[in-house]
Amino acid sequence: MSLIDAIVQRWQVVVVPAAVFVAFLLFALWLRRLAYRAMERWAKQTQWEGHSILVAATRLPSLLASLIIAVLLALEVSILADGGKALAARVSWSLFALMVALAALGLARGLLRLYLERFNASPRVVSLSSNIATVTAIVVSLLTILELWGVPTGPVALLIGIGALALLFAFRDAMSSLFAWFHLSASGKIKVGDYIKVESGEEGYVTEFGWRATELEGLDGSTVIIPNHKLTQSRISNYGRPLKQAAEPFRFYSRLHLKELTNLKARTLRDLVATLKTAPDAVVYYHTHNFLEEHHYLTPEPANDFAVWVTDALGNEALGERLASLDTFEFSTLALLRDRVVDIIEEYLARNPDSREALPGREFHFIRSVSIVLPLQYVAHDLREFVEVLRNVSVGSLFFHVFESRLRIGKGFNDFSVWIEESLGEPELAAAIAQLDPYNYSLEGLRSSLIQLIEKHVK
Amino acid sequence: MVPLMVQLGLDARWNVIKGNDEFFAVTKKFHNALHGREEAITRDEYALFLEVNRKNLDEMKLHGDIMFIHDPQPVALVEKRGELGGKWAWRCHIDVSNPQAEVWEFLRKFVIKYDGAAFSAPSFAQTIPIRQFMVSPSIDPLSDKNRELPQETIDSVLAKYNIPADKPIITQVSRFDRLKDPVGVIQAFDLVKKSIDCQLVMAGGTATDDPESEVVLKEVRERAEANPDIHILLIPPGSDIEINALQRASTVILQKSIKEGFGLTVSEALWKAKPVVASAVGGITLQVKNKFTGLLSHGIEGTAYDLKQLLSNPEYAKWLGENGREHVRQNFLITRHIKEYLLMFLALYHPEETIYL
Repeated sequence: MSLIDAIVQRWQVVVVPAAVFVAFLLFALWLRRLAYRAMERWAKQTQWEGHSILVAATRLPSLLASLIIAVLLALEVSILADGGKALAARVSWSLFALMVALAALGLARGLLRLYLERFNASPRVVSLSSNIATVTAIVVSLLTILELWGVPTGPVALLIGIGALALLFAFRDAMSSLFAWFHLSASGKIKVGDYIKVESGEEGYVTEFGWRATELEGLDGSTVIIPNHKLTQSRISNYGRPLKQAAEPFRFYSRLHLKELTNLKARTLRDLVATLKTAPDAVVYYHTHNFLEEHHYLTPEPANDFAVWVTDALGNEALGERLASLDTFEFSTLALLRDRVVDIIEEYLARNPDSREALPGREFHFIRSVSIVLPLQYVAHDLREFVEVLRNVSVGSLFFHVFESRLRIGKGFNDFSVWIEESLGEPELAAAIAQLDPYNYSLEGLRSSLIQLIEKHVK
Repeated sequence: MVPLMVQLGLDARWNVIKGNDEFFAVTKKFHNALHGREEAITRDEYALFLEVNRKNLDEMKLHGDIMFIHDPQPVALVEKRGELGGKWAWRCHIDVSNPQAEVWEFLRKFVIKYDGAAFSAPSFAQTIPIRQFMVSPSIDPLSDKNRELPQETIDSVLAKYNIPADKPIITQVSRFDRLKDPVGVIQAFDLVKKSIDCQLVMAGGTATDDPESEVVLKEVRERAEANPDIHILLIPPGSDIEINALQRASTVILQKSIKEGFGLTVSEALWKAKPVVASAVGGITLQVKNKFTGLLSHGIEGTAYDLKQLLSNPEYAKWLGENGREHVRQNFLITRHIKEYLLMFLALYHPEETIYL
């Protein structure tokens, strides 16, 4: 009997498995199509960008998997011996596992690339993540296949687990930096171009936001590299994007002073007022600012030298108080300030013919202030740079830009306000700083107030 | 100061003039006369002074952009100014406001040949037709007299002089000289002692050139004899650590001078954050701003009153002491001193009020 005769005689031996194969394949393909359509609708609704990746990654593996299951079912209903069926089942499930791994791998790589690129990850990071996904897919599918073929996988899995743990331990900082990077990227709290300040003091513009570390460029041009896991453990102030750039940068100067003796002295109020009338501006400046400068650590600030001398050396507390309460900030020139001091003393003398004399050695000595102005290396192009310099610059610089430029150099305004208005075009902030009465603060207190005003404005 | 200037990059050198005993006897007379004491100086002595200066000029290899001559002894070196060139400045460390006229006139001829002069305080200066700058003296915070000391050192010094640490200590550090009013110090202490249990330490040496010094010491010892809470300590020269320890062990530091030069012991005390009661004389008023960095007094009763205030109000005393330390840190340390010298050198080249570098 020929093979054909045998098939004709027992037609159901062939037809039944073939029918099962065809029926399941059609059912599976119909189901697959339904699934893809449902997914497409959902992707449209949610505008999920990963849809095309999902389709591309699963199209072929799902078709092949349908075929494999169809073949497996057909063999199950065939007349094949039990041993043959078992072998065919193992082969089929192994191939099925490979298809699943293939689909998962395609999907993982596609999604990783999509999301990592969205967070501006470098190509190195993308390729590293893809490699990790590939290795994981290969290992999992191999373990599954070995399990299907009855090979004991426990020891292998244990070995892999131990190896993975060892790797994790060895690269724990790198791993925690990676997780920190995922966390910070996902939350969108830090981006390249932001100006950040870390609790531990490092600050600057973010120039690179890598998976291991974040690179900052400081205002002085220095580069600081901070591991990401440190970033998540610290308090970070993010000032956002760079601010408005000034038309002209602000160049900081400092000022030192030397005391020049004039040989002029006063023993009585009349001597004081007579000499003061003709004293040069630099003398008026010295005696209205010296106490403030030499005792700038004291708050509230003690008054001018005239008030101190009248109180301490002449014992005239009433006039001393009157002179001490003189509001230096009201005057835009030293000549006006001098006239006011002279007026106060003359008004007093007109009503009280005071003839008190200072004891020998306690005369009022007129001193002239010689200013030496020197440029500093600090330059600010925007308010953030400005405030950072302001934080660190010497009190001599504050003195020059706030007190000296206003009164002695005769600008009428402090340098900071002028720059903020003219070069930065921020008149409100300029006015707020100009209104600040520097004579009411210690120099450090003035520094803090200026910083607070500017920081509030920047935020 | 020269090593610090060298560290700043200056080629600074320190030259010392040579002279024999006769020369230094003359300059000692000059010194006293400049302080206002009457001294008879003969024509030969003036001639000797000029001769030694001239000899030094010949022997010393002077060169530099700026010649900075200290004190009256080498003042006549300025005679070589025409030949050496550069800028010349004279540093006057003493109070010449009330000198014996003849000696000052003699020195003035040389002083006015300088480009500028530096005085320690405005009240120490003279009317001269050259620029005068005020450069206060300073203390070196790292020297034995001022550096931090371990508590064991302080305790051992107190033990050495049998000073118990269980009572507040008022200390005056100064030589036994009438101008430091040691008897007045004891009188003020007696007034304080009526209401506050405390002790007084008077530490210093005797002035070798002042025969009266021994008499003063004897008188002070007699006054103190009956009171075991008064410790009169004759400290040999060079015992800077002991002086430092005594100041650090004190509750209040007193400087009850009748006349004073600059009185840097006040800055030394303030640097240790000690509350200070001092007389309002000489350079003390530059260091103590009344009620801000210490208390200024005028008489015995006023001194006693201030001492009682500080002993009874430790918080106030602490605030004054801390302000005092900050005042010294800002204005009386060697770093400020060097800065002002450098600025003065600059000013010699720039007559204007505001110098732009």
